[in-house]
Amino acid sequence: MEFNPSIFIELFAETIQYWWVIIPAIFLGLIVGAIPGFSAANTIIMLLPLAIVLPVEIGFVFMIALYCSSRMGAGIPAILVNIPGTAGAAATPLDGYPMAQQGRGQQALAISFTSSVLGGLITTVLALVAMPWLAEVAFYLHSVEMIVVMLFGISLIATIAARDTLKGLVAGFFGLMIGCIGADYVYETPRGTMGFLELYDGVPLIPALIGLFAISEAMIVIDRDSILTKRGKEAVVTGGWGPTIEGVMETLKRWWHVVWTSIIGLFIGVIPGAGAAIASFVAYQQSKTYSKTPELYGTGHIEGLIAPESSNNGVTSGTLVPLIILGIPGGATAAIMLVVLQYHNVTMGTELFLNNPKLAYLPFTAMAVTYFLMIFTIPPLARYMSHVTVVRTVYMAPIVIAFTLVGAFVSRDFVFDMYLALIFGVIGYVARKTGYHVAAILIGVILGPLLETYFIRAMKMSQGDITVLFSSMLGNILWVGLLINLAVPIWFEYRRDRKKKKAA
Amino acid sequence: MTTEDMREELSGGIDTAQDLHKRPKRSAGAELVIPVVGTLFALYYFSTIWDSPWTAQVSAFFIGCVLILTSAIVTIKIIGALRRGETTLNFERLVEPRSYLPKRLGLFALTIGYVIVIQFAGFTLTTFAFLFCAMALLNDRKNLRFIVILSLIMAISGWALFIYAFEVHFPAGPFELLMKKVL
Repeated sequence: MEFNPSIFIELFAETIQYWWVIIPAIFLGLIVGAIPGFSAANTIIMLLPLAIVLPVEIGFVFMIALYCSSRMGAGIPAILVNIPGTAGAAATPLDGYPMAQQGRGQQALAISFTSSVLGGLITTVLALVAMPWLAEVAFYLHSVEMIVVMLFGISLIATIAARDTLKGLVAGFFGLMIGCIGADYVYETPRGTMGFLELYDGVPLIPALIGLFAISEAMIVIDRDSILTKRGKEAVVTGGWGPTIEGVMETLKRWWHVVWTSIIGLFIGVIPGAGAAIASFVAYQQSKTYSKTPELYGTGHIEGLIAPESSNNGVTSGTLVPLIILGIPGGATAAIMLVVLQYHNVTMGTELFLNNPKLAYLPFTAMAVTYFLMIFTIPPLARYMSHVTVVRTVYMAPIVIAFTLVGAFVSRDFVFDMYLALIFGVIGYVARKTGYHVAAILIGVILGPLLETYFIRAMKMSQGDITVLFSSMLGNILWVGLLINLAVPIWFEYRRDRKKKKAA
Repeated sequence: MTTEDMREELSGGIDTAQDLHKRPKRSAGAELVIPVVGTLFALYYFSTIWDSPWTAQVSAFFIGCVLILTSAIVTIKIIGALRRGETTLNFERLVEPRSYLPKRLGLFALTIGYVIVIQFAGFTLTTFAFLFCAMALLNDRKNLRFIVILSLIMAISGWALFIYAFEVHFPAGPFELLMKKVL
């Protein structure tokens, strides 16, 4: 299972010959990723007959390309119209949308594309080289360690709350409370469901995402002619290819930021069940904590956009590690890939590296080739896509409402989910109008149930002994890391205040 | 451009949390909606887990108590501001700008209508009708010909891309059933 560069180079050359499969998959993935309610997993399910009929290598390459590009596509509406295509892009609008409002949508898209491609490429190479060790990460991270990882993500609520602490906390805990709706993990006791059977599995994320971001935003923007500010309009009208090149250069200048935030995504992606949403929240929070200019986050700061985009693409490579080495899918898309491979009698695990090493390395080379081809195919689109922001709100708002509401239906085929999106839309509208951050509510809805699941699992295993939370070496290191992480911004602010006082 | 300039430029009609504090008179009633709804929901939630096993209670009690506590602090702060005359107990922030209230309510009513009708009339017909009505309402019934064409293009494109090409399960109605038979 040791890394053999010659196999990788040979495979890279072979995989690039499948460009005719990869390029259409890139564009298809970009579209499905950009539409809330759709995802790479759903699309592969829809195209399952095709994936099964194709030879195993081509089918695998097609699924990988679709997976990578859909992750990138989810950032497009998040930046342009404040609607994340998937939960993994929920942290992207925090700085991406303000950039679009300032007329820097083209630059923001170029930054998003470049950091996604670089993040994806870097983590693919890292995953390939460090595959055996990364697979062990999944073994070492149990419920206790996962609780701390979740708390890293949830601490973003505190970061968001920095502007108005109380309101941020109310929004975050309201989200966590909503996230507690559904049957409990052990005894399946229904809680807070108001009698709706549709809520027994918990609050579905897509309607929450659509309501909090899309519906509420559409209801609010109608009192303006365009989502752009006055300066933003001028910038869009006068913009040529310059902002795209500028966006690429600005990202390349911050290459180190791309590297470490994508590595966060890689590690979180390796953990089965974690996912891109946690990775992007954690990366954003870490990025802000260790930034020299944390006050610029939320105003259209480039690093605030790079962090979630490179980390959620880092997750893509990470998810495949447990699939390839252990046969354990790290997420929904990886699980569907596993089904297709099993249909072709391919058994994942160490045996695959002995019997068919080329197929074992193929997902990573396919990923590398996909990201490589994206460099030439996607960034040029930023200039044209950014023009979405100049569409008048009288036309854009109804289109957003109609197409996102039906997206809420698609994920489970329940009309109930469309009503749910409407309710979240009202919550989002009230929250935005009164200064409660919708992102804090969403973080609660996404991470709340996961945190509860891991917490209960840990408690069950320790028979209710709370000290189990501090029973492992790795867990304790993470706890210390979390405390440092929470203390650092306070320390930095204290130092800044002292400097200001001295200067005064 | 400074951070403050950026925030001011971005707010363009929608006030940020900071702006709310800058205002001499806040809209206390509106600001209390989320804490009150949150508290009521937490109390309802507690009632559903009162007799449940501890696994169903543990995290909910912790989260619910913090939510109630933080909401109570927000409420106390607002009551203090009310006493000092810094705020008034109204819901003005939710409805401003007043001139757009009829359009906003109309759009919301149409959205509810969209969800109800789509179950019977299907995606394509309902989407066309919704887009036409909503755009005409927001655009003060100007450019009706353009709105009809745009609504038609959007509805048909949605059908062609999602239902026909991708075979996605969208709510089906007479148009979808007819096209299924024809094609």
